[in-house]
Amino acid sequence: MYSDAHPRDFPACSGCSLCRLVCPMWRARRDPRFSPEGIAKARQSGAALAELAPALEACTLCGACDPVCPENIDLSGMIMDLRRELPPHPELVALQIGYQQAAEGTEPAPAGALLLPGAALRADPALLDKVQSLLGLRRAPDDGADLAVALEIGGEIAPQRLRRFLDGLEGRSLVVGDGLLLRQLRSWLPAGRLQGLGEALGNLSTIRRRIASADFYVVEARAFHADHERLVAHYDTLRKDCGCAMNLDLQRIAMPPHASGYPGLRMGPAREDLEQSRWLLQGRTPARILVENPAERALLRRVIDVPVLHLAELA
Amino acid sequence: MAPDALQGIVRQQTNAARWNGAGWREFVADLRSAGVTLAEGTAATGIYATDAGGTAYSLPHGVLVARNAAQVATLLKVAQAHRVPVTVRGGGLTTEGESVAYGGVLLDMTGMSRVLAIDADAMTVRTEAGIYWHGLAEELRRSGLDYLSAPLNMTSSVGGTLGVGGIDVNSARLGCSADQALALQVVTPTGEIVECSDSENVELFQRVILGYGQFGVITEATLKIRPYTPLSMHYYYYSTLREAIEDLQLLDANDASDYSGILTIMDCAVNLLVAFDSAEREAAFKAHWERRLRGHGEFGFALCMAGHYALRPWKLGEALYLFKRKQAVFPEFRRPEFHRDGRMEDRTVVFSRAVWKHWGSRNMVIPDLATSTDKFIEAVERGNAVCRKFFPHYTLYCVGIRLRPEHKAHYEMSCVPPDAEGWAYGCEFEPMIEDAVYSRDHFQSFKNAIYDIGVDLGASYYRFGGMMKGYIRRVFGDALVDKHLAMKRQADPAMILNRDVIF
Repeated sequence: MYSDAHPRDFPACSGCSLCRLVCPMWRARRDPRFSPEGIAKARQSGAALAELAPALEACTLCGACDPVCPENIDLSGMIMDLRRELPPHPELVALQIGYQQAAEGTEPAPAGALLLPGAALRADPALLDKVQSLLGLRRAPDDGADLAVALEIGGEIAPQRLRRFLDGLEGRSLVVGDGLLLRQLRSWLPAGRLQGLGEALGNLSTIRRRIASADFYVVEARAFHADHERLVAHYDTLRKDCGCAMNLDLQRIAMPPHASGYPGLRMGPAREDLEQSRWLLQGRTPARILVENPAERALLRRVIDVPVLHLAELA
Repeated sequence: MAPDALQGIVRQQTNAARWNGAGWREFVADLRSAGVTLAEGTAATGIYATDAGGTAYSLPHGVLVARNAAQVATLLKVAQAHRVPVTVRGGGLTTEGESVAYGGVLLDMTGMSRVLAIDADAMTVRTEAGIYWHGLAEELRRSGLDYLSAPLNMTSSVGGTLGVGGIDVNSARLGCSADQALALQVVTPTGEIVECSDSENVELFQRVILGYGQFGVITEATLKIRPYTPLSMHYYYYSTLREAIEDLQLLDANDASDYSGILTIMDCAVNLLVAFDSAEREAAFKAHWERRLRGHGEFGFALCMAGHYALRPWKLGEALYLFKRKQAVFPEFRRPEFHRDGRMEDRTVVFSRAVWKHWGSRNMVIPDLATSTDKFIEAVERGNAVCRKFFPHYTLYCVGIRLRPEHKAHYEMSCVPPDAEGWAYGCEFEPMIEDAVYSRDHFQSFKNAIYDIGVDLGASYYRFGGMMKGYIRRVFGDALVDKHLAMKRQADPAMILNRDVIF
């Protein structure tokens, strides 16, 4: 690997292709342009942004490429940065603005540890109540859903909006439902004690003892890859304890069920998402599927006829 | 010039000349009329600017990501007619520019990377040849199966490997990867789609296996497979190459282990790795062979090293490097998430991660020597002396390759040395580039010094194509090379396929 003196950005890409092996965008298309390596190498050759746009739009931001890169390049960060330079999608910008307006009238965050549920969990109020009750956490009135959308679509984040969101969160224990926001919070709140929803629920004995060896457990890819070095041990232990199969490949990278861009923000799955979900389940005959991200239930229900449950629904 | 190199051999770069692009537009138009469209933008071509070696640079005029054999056949037919060079690329792990297109078309086979059928009764798999071995392993593992042997690099492609050999740490027992192929679908340089095997189109099979892509594009392969087993790994440490190689060859000759190989930190810490698929094989090794090995365990070797360097304080820098290297690399081989109950779950993941993290660099220069059993120690010791002369730090990787007598015809003009019987042995000499910057001339001089040893010993090389093709006639002789050149001219009249890799 290069010296650490080199910037950890696209010039450091040596073209090893390891990111391709774990990239759902590449797997769905088998075209190197649709991979972090392809984007980095094209940038090294001076490719114009317009040439890169289809790949930038197709990336799921699952973050699988980050922990496998031997050069420690922040590949998903590179893609998020480039997305900011693309023409905006009006309907997605409107979504961001809608969430932002909803956050504007909220009360300040209560004291103590907090749950930042995110849009997917908030979309299922009964499930949200259950998660809150299980974790015994108070819910942050402003969970940064608009910031999560902005990160996803390359939208603008106003400094004052960011300050308002982060005000009072520094140093707190937070359980964060949105994997992409969690990834970013690790740099925004370096002193924060941050956990993803899956990890927090998976640590509860009431949940853990109900996970069966016949279950197929779908780790939420974004939260997992954002803290891979630590979480790979967490899920290794969970797998040993419960005996269940997981969506981890031979490199212990989480295969997400989606393979096309803006998962969760689009209406309905694309063909690539269905193919990717089928690949996840190929050769497996689980009794149930357990997901950490509630937004993944609908997609998986389309490709397999067994119960698909959120972890919190086990309790 | 190295004192142990042959005198009088002209040292020069052997870069291919860039194709001048004559008739490119007409070719692209004809190809489009035939239903095949090339990508020509920077985003498409820039990906292929270099290979894993990072010393050869050039861009293709256009790129085709292969989707099926018919499309590849159309490309080659039209390319023959227009005399447009076509360079085939799988994982792009060549180091001498063999998969770099000096103009013309870059045919990327990774678009054909699907498993077509797994036959668990016959223990075979049929797969598209652009698949990465790691991708194949992912699919086979869902059925509790595994491939036999493949390079310890996750991004090697099946087709590329079958074309050059492919060595694993079980090759001393199971042979090289190319010998695992039972049948191939090949698109010939003139665009015919042909099935070949040891019983069908035999001559084509002989030439395509280990043929460096000169006689066709492998589009599908039928490979032997086996039940998956995790392996138990043991490491023995030596302070001399000779003893480690003698012990390696002892184990191989007596079928005493399922996996064996040598990985070194220079010639100071020589690690013989030995591994087993089953507890029975491991027990037999411990009962009969372990005590005959002269290597130490990790703790014993650390004590030996401490004593060695305590008496040689002027070598403190070397000792510190060894210590730092050990601290960085050893944990990679023992990461708990890749082990269960003391057994390694996927050797390729473990080794490949370590290779890319601790050996990978912008430049990877890996000259090698392949010899018969009896010449191997001399080859490694002389190559080691060359490494010491050119670089402060380096690593050696040695492994045996079981040969199949019935495949002798496959081995002609390949990495398998002509005088090898039973086993061939290969050693890769890899300098650690680290933060240093070296000129291409320095690299080339180093490679020449290693390859000169091969000429002297009558050895062969894994990487004899591309920028090192100047050695082909010196090693194989004019008669054999001219015989293959005549076959190449017949198979590929316009000499378009993988131009300048060999011919």
